[in-house]
Amino acid sequence: MGTQRPDFAEFYRAAKDECLFTVLISVGDRDAAQELVAEAFARAWASWRTVGEHPAPRAWVVRTALNVNISWWRRRRREVPVPDPGLVADGSAADGGAGGSVDPPIMAALMRLPLRQRQVVALRLFLDLDTDHTAAMLGIAPGTVQAHLGRAIAALRHALMPERQQESR
Amino acid sequence: MNDSELLTAVREQRNKIPMTVPVAQVISRGRAVRARRRIAGLAAALAAAAGVAVAVTALLPATGPATRPAAGPAAGRPAVRAPARLAAWTVVKQPGGTVSVTIHELYYPAGLQRTLRAAGVPASVTFYASRRYPSWCRAYPASRAMLSKVFLPHPGAATTVIVIRPSALPAGAGVYLNDTSNPYGYVGLSAGLVRASMRCTGS
Repeated sequence: MGTQRPDFAEFYRAAKDECLFTVLISVGDRDAAQELVAEAFARAWASWRTVGEHPAPRAWVVRTALNVNISWWRRRRREVPVPDPGLVADGSAADGGAGGSVDPPIMAALMRLPLRQRQVVALRLFLDLDTDHTAAMLGIAPGTVQAHLGRAIAALRHALMPERQQESR
Repeated sequence: MNDSELLTAVREQRNKIPMTVPVAQVISRGRAVRARRRIAGLAAALAAAAGVAVAVTALLPATGPATRPAAGPAAGRPAVRAPARLAAWTVVKQPGGTVSVTIHELYYPAGLQRTLRAAGVPASVTFYASRRYPSWCRAYPASRAMLSKVFLPHPGAATTVIVIRPSALPAGAGVYLNDTSNPYGYVGLSAGLVRASMRCTGS
């Protein structure tokens, strides 16, 4: 890809918000997402010689941030109850809180997607990864990525454009 | 609003939540990460020089794929490893018959499943799935006491480790491992029991 490694500070400035939003979509909590992304960028800085030449350094950061989450498992919570994803959409955790200006209905619709669909949407739409890179990052087939994306878009359409759904019936 | 406008509206959200951590703070933390790696690398080199790495075939770990292209010792060989080349996961069969699983990344679940089965643990492993275990697996009713016999505590673990005692598995039961997430936070690991079957746990 690129022949010259970009400056880390420049990369951070350009990528931080997109990486934060992508991780937020997966974890659902802004503060937690910010901590994870900061840690991932710190690790990227520590290995910048390698990460800076990665074909998709933003994806590297996002993946690292999500992997950092594993350490929480050390607290011996082997089973974490999974509440209704719709709950978070209606709460303040995912809407960006103070300072955020996200569209609440869009965030609610995103957070109601199943986790895998959210991950695919985040990587395809927010990080602009192509299908193959998304598939490789998630460890699934490219066709599965397309299927998840198709279902996610249908669900978003249903949630955000109900009038059009009714027209098409 | 058509589909194109819908996707544009969704895409536009990505820049609406600012990351407020200053770059200087990130770099400061990065320096600490780098220093820690150097210390770990030095300790490993000293241990190797002292002949601490014992080559006992039965205890050799099976490892998952390297997280970065590795140029050096083959996976599973007792040798000094640069921290940057950590495997996604490691499975070690221990002398008492227990099997320890160390997770660094949620990656290559099929390989981990195969390795666990080879180590004598009937297992089903899924990462980033919407279900706790595949639809062809069925839950095994397990009490907390039963789980604590199969999954042993690992106090002081510096990373994500789960220790499994296959001999404590009830007849007809296998292990499942997966990641868990909740809308308020974090992806972690969960472990539990499923009914053993060829399709679900390999035996």
